[in-house]
Amino acid sequence: MLGAITHQTLAAWEAAHARPASFFGRFRSVPSASFANAVVVLYAVSTLLGGIVYLYFRVDVRPELERAGHWHVLGFFDLKEHFAAIGLALLPAYWVCWRRPLADEPTQIRTALTSILAFIVWWAFLSGHVANNIMGFGS
Amino acid sequence: MTPSAPFRRFAFAFGSTFAVLYVAAVAKDLALFTVFPSLGIVLAGTHHSRDIADPAMGFLAPAMYWYGWAATAALGALMSGLVAASLPARSVRHVWSGWVWLIPALSMIACVYLTLPWFWL
Repeated sequence: MLGAITHQTLAAWEAAHARPASFFGRFRSVPSASFANAVVVLYAVSTLLGGIVYLYFRVDVRPELERAGHWHVLGFFDLKEHFAAIGLALLPAYWVCWRRPLADEPTQIRTALTSILAFIVWWAFLSGHVANNIMGFGS
Repeated sequence: MTPSAPFRRFAFAFGSTFAVLYVAAVAKDLALFTVFPSLGIVLAGTHHSRDIADPAMGFLAPAMYWYGWAATAALGALMSGLVAASLPARSVRHVWSGWVWLIPALSMIACVYLTLPWFWL
């Protein structure tokens, strides 16, 4: 999912500027819309699995982080859960914009939606890994 | 599968309304239900650990609101989406479609603001 959404975001931003023979020109020659279905499915599955694991995190991991005073990590993790929920609700609009765009619809909308989802996915990936590994830091 | 115009209106209304309602649910503590994972129970509405256990023992029954906040927002967004889908196309013609990304972006900033207390500890 990280690869698909990152590729799609960069291709969407470079759509109007890339020279055909440049790196980005070849990069965006892959049809970005073909990633949309995969991103929707992978995001939904990841959120579902994250929602299940979150129960165990709340009982077994978070109290340890609180005892160790890792408040910043807990703040980043809270942001992750907020962003993930907002991103999940954006999936239908994201899918419509990529798979069935209107002829007169500005491409900025799907570029913005894709960028927001990419930010959320990267935030979730990084904050999740930091939270997962934080107790190993400095030990 | 071709999404019709009503589905497009539903999707746009759902995404933006969810973002607003989610922030409202977090800010006002409006969870449709509360999960107590260590006890294996789910209670309707917002309940704090001190409501079901002695305050000194609250850490034994941590409460989770995220599922309930998301459910609150999803319920409201679903209604908003259905209303938008049922409207005639001409009635929404002048609504700026950019709200679908601007409102979630602003909601994410609001979430950062609501989370700031963690960083002051």
